[in-house]
Amino acid sequence: MSLFWKWAIGVFLVLLLAVFLLLCKMAGSPKDAYGMLRYALPHMHRGTLKVGDDAPDARLLALDGANHFHIRERTGARPLVVIFGSYT
Amino acid sequence: MVQIYNDYKDHADFLTVYVREAHPTDEWQMKSNVKDDVCYAQPKTLAQRVAIANDFIKRFNYPIAFGVDDIDNAANDAYSAWPERFYIIDESGRIAYRGGMGPFHYNPDEVRGWLAARYGAVKHDPPPTPTRTSAPPPTEPTPGTD
Repeated sequence: MSLFWKWAIGVFLVLLLAVFLLLCKMAGSPKDAYGMLRYALPHMHRGTLKVGDDAPDARLLALDGANHFHIRERTGARPLVVIFGSYT
Repeated sequence: MVQIYNDYKDHADFLTVYVREAHPTDEWQMKSNVKDDVCYAQPKTLAQRVAIANDFIKRFNYPIAFGVDDIDNAANDAYSAWPERFYIIDESGRIAYRGGMGPFHYNPDEVRGWLAARYGAVKHDPPPTPTRTSAPPPTEPTPGTD
């Protein structure tokens, strides 16, 4: 391998390390930086639902821990805004 | 999101679906979770998940209707929702809006924009400039927000 390419690869690796270190500083730790990078990977943008598709149904449990209902039971009369998330 | 709910609850229905934890202690816990005292392991039973959801509601006095995804994550899988995502389902039962995946593409303003396009914008006065004698404005809670 020519000297030029060795230098080019070396510079690229140093830049990559610098970017990762900057990401670690911004995210708080290497573990957090890795987690952030995972969010950017293509598999994180998964999902095949498109606008216009029938909304899937699923059974949910009410907060009393006893009663169930379905997402589609809440649709029909008005638009339904569905917010998916968790506490953490 | 609670502000959007308050602005448009006379026109649209809202439902929060509680899914698997984004940053549990036994997976990728963030420092902000420790700082905010939001430390929970990934629930292994539905009862555990319901308990955490109830903690969230109590802490923030969260007013929006709530449903908890089954422990097999059926709703989460059907909507590819984890860690956080918005959808709007129209009156015909079709997806009218599909939000991007959180955290980077989770955008409440897009939900507000959709509702505003249909029902009109709701304007709010800007918050008062903080002074030494005034209390800081409350932080609006949203499930899954880091």
